[in-house]
Amino acid sequence: MSDITASAAGELWGREGFREDPYIVAETLEETGDAPAVILPLAVWLGLEESVRSETNRKIGVSVAPGESIDPLLPLLDTIPLIALQFPAFNDGRSYSKADILKNQHQFKGELRAVGDVLIDQVAYMLRTGFDTMKVTHAVTLTRLAEHNLHDAPGYYQPGRGSHTVPGAYSWRRVPGA
Amino acid sequence: MYRYDEFDHAFVSARVEQFKDQVERRLAGELTEEQFRPLRLMNGVYLQLHAYMLRVAIPYGTLSGRQMHKLAHIARRYDRGYGHFTTRQNIQYNWPALSDMPAVLDELASVEMHALQTSGNCIRNVTADHFAGAAADEAADPRPYAEILRQWSSMHPEFSYLPRKFKIAVTGADRDRAAIQVHDIGLHLKKNEAGELGFAVYIGGGQGRTPMVAKKIRDFLPIEDLLTYTTAIVRVYNLNGRRDNKYKARIKILVHETGTEEITRQVETEWQAIKDTDLKMPQQDVDAIDNYFRMPNLPQRPEGWSQLAAARKADASFARWVDQNVTPHKNPDYGVVTISLKPIGGIPGDATDAQMDLVADIAEKFSNDEIRVSHEQNLVLPHVAIADLRIVYDLLLTDGLATANAGLITDIIACPGLDYCALANARSIPVAQRISERFGKPERQADIGELKIKISGCINACGHHHVGHIGILGVEKKGEELYQISLGGSGDEICTIGDITGRGFSSEEIVDAVETIVDRYLLVRTDKEENFLATYRRLGAAPFKDALYNETANAA
Repeated sequence: MSDITASAAGELWGREGFREDPYIVAETLEETGDAPAVILPLAVWLGLEESVRSETNRKIGVSVAPGESIDPLLPLLDTIPLIALQFPAFNDGRSYSKADILKNQHQFKGELRAVGDVLIDQVAYMLRTGFDTMKVTHAVTLTRLAEHNLHDAPGYYQPGRGSHTVPGAYSWRRVPGA
Repeated sequence: MYRYDEFDHAFVSARVEQFKDQVERRLAGELTEEQFRPLRLMNGVYLQLHAYMLRVAIPYGTLSGRQMHKLAHIARRYDRGYGHFTTRQNIQYNWPALSDMPAVLDELASVEMHALQTSGNCIRNVTADHFAGAAADEAADPRPYAEILRQWSSMHPEFSYLPRKFKIAVTGADRDRAAIQVHDIGLHLKKNEAGELGFAVYIGGGQGRTPMVAKKIRDFLPIEDLLTYTTAIVRVYNLNGRRDNKYKARIKILVHETGTEEITRQVETEWQAIKDTDLKMPQQDVDAIDNYFRMPNLPQRPEGWSQLAAARKADASFARWVDQNVTPHKNPDYGVVTISLKPIGGIPGDATDAQMDLVADIAEKFSNDEIRVSHEQNLVLPHVAIADLRIVYDLLLTDGLATANAGLITDIIACPGLDYCALANARSIPVAQRISERFGKPERQADIGELKIKISGCINACGHHHVGHIGILGVEKKGEELYQISLGGSGDEICTIGDITGRGFSSEEIVDAVETIVDRYLLVRTDKEENFLATYRRLGAAPFKDALYNETANAA
């Protein structure tokens, strides 16, 4: 692993590049002490008192495994600062659909994060379905992200985030850019 | 035909450039075979028993003479002088070198072709009726909608990592030649009572080890809702399809386990949430795509009728070919010609570079520059004037392409089987060849009439044996190839999965077993008008089982 990826491994990536991750991941709230930003498993998060979830002095995000339903979160989206969708294996694509449902159907305003085994070819897809950030384990992906080499296409055949229509083009087509 | 615009060109070139880089990294040893695997699969490159195989997409089976010439050139220059047309209306090359793949993809891109989404757990090449736009019996040409689906499904960000591969087929005629009810989504384009176009939507059909006939979940979907409704179906599948077991991962299992009513409810609920989003199609876009597929301006050629009558009378072989391989066209002065890639004793679906060039030349001159690939592994010239049939026939005859067997017992579908495929348990091609030889005499075939034999070399059913009137499945038992027979399958509008007859037959026995079935059919049919499938549906399996197992027992 090169120096650049070694330093990036613990960091968070977004459209602007790598940055430090303010969140810590924990199994319970008790073990996080007074950490200002934590991510808890879905079941634990749902078990919290409403008053704890919406505390203003700390951010409590929620992590969702591919097999878990996001339906219980939908009525509460306004109070959630971060949802982390898991990619335990690169070929499990369920979280792409959840991303689209959260960001486009339900206008989730918080941070949507992809966590796990992400291939470089998938990063552009993730951004388009609605992910804001990713926490990646794959070494080649980290290297390519550091080089800003996203393997993106020059145009898209579907609507999605980070793209816009071109006048006169078919309604389903988009080109990259805000 | 659809033509690429700048957007399409840029998209495909970018993918080719990307794959070039990946191949170079693989050849340089920077990527292991394991790391390279998902990348090559995205570009249609498989690793087979003996070599890499490249599967090239032919969207809804439509191509021009120029494109066919290019396929011939690739066969000649990069392969061993032939290609194999598949049941997905695609073409496969069995012997190209990995180092040549980028060059082949460049060649394809130069004629607006590619190998994208011919593998992997994504939405695959969309297939359509091979007579689309020409057949006298269709409500409308289904290809504009197949093209819209092709575009929309290309590198789809949400649907590129589905539980399993996903196949969509579209037909525009009541007579289903696209086998839509054995697809993940089957769309039947039709007109409602008000004369408006829309789709009957079927989901959850498929073959493989658990064959299922699709369930209709909507009788009439307006055109403008095609992409939103398809999105809703694929999303429900992506979220809920099984990922714990590769063999239970297709949407047919989800539909089966969830129940048709409940899955319909889920799809409709999801659709309600997205039906008015950006994917709702404006009529002007549909019209613009439709415009590419307009019926060509075919000149009146009424002289053909009397010429045809005379030519038929003079040559019985020609007459037989016209009867068997020419289908009515929307324009009465024209016909739809099926070019059989099933010469007696040949390999189903194979064509040499010279044959491809010949077909391309004929299409350019006599079929408005259009060719189709059928899922039955034949080629089609969709717009041939009746007046040109004789000359087209003579040209086809020069290179063994005038076999008059479309729809007959020797028009066999067979997967590549153990001769090529890494998944196969048994050989398919030699069995097809021997059956073809056994029944090859024209008079005998004509007497037997319509009979579809389909052969798969393993349970994955690429040879569509479940929907063969006679289906043959090769399995491996104690190191020997064994062939199971099923009867009464059909992939058309009355879709049925064939019934397994009983114990299988050895490679030596299988052709005799087929002949036993055929002989029994000839004995029990009411008359020549009752084809094999109709006879089977009337009588069931009993007379055929009796013939197979009692006779074999007696002979043993």
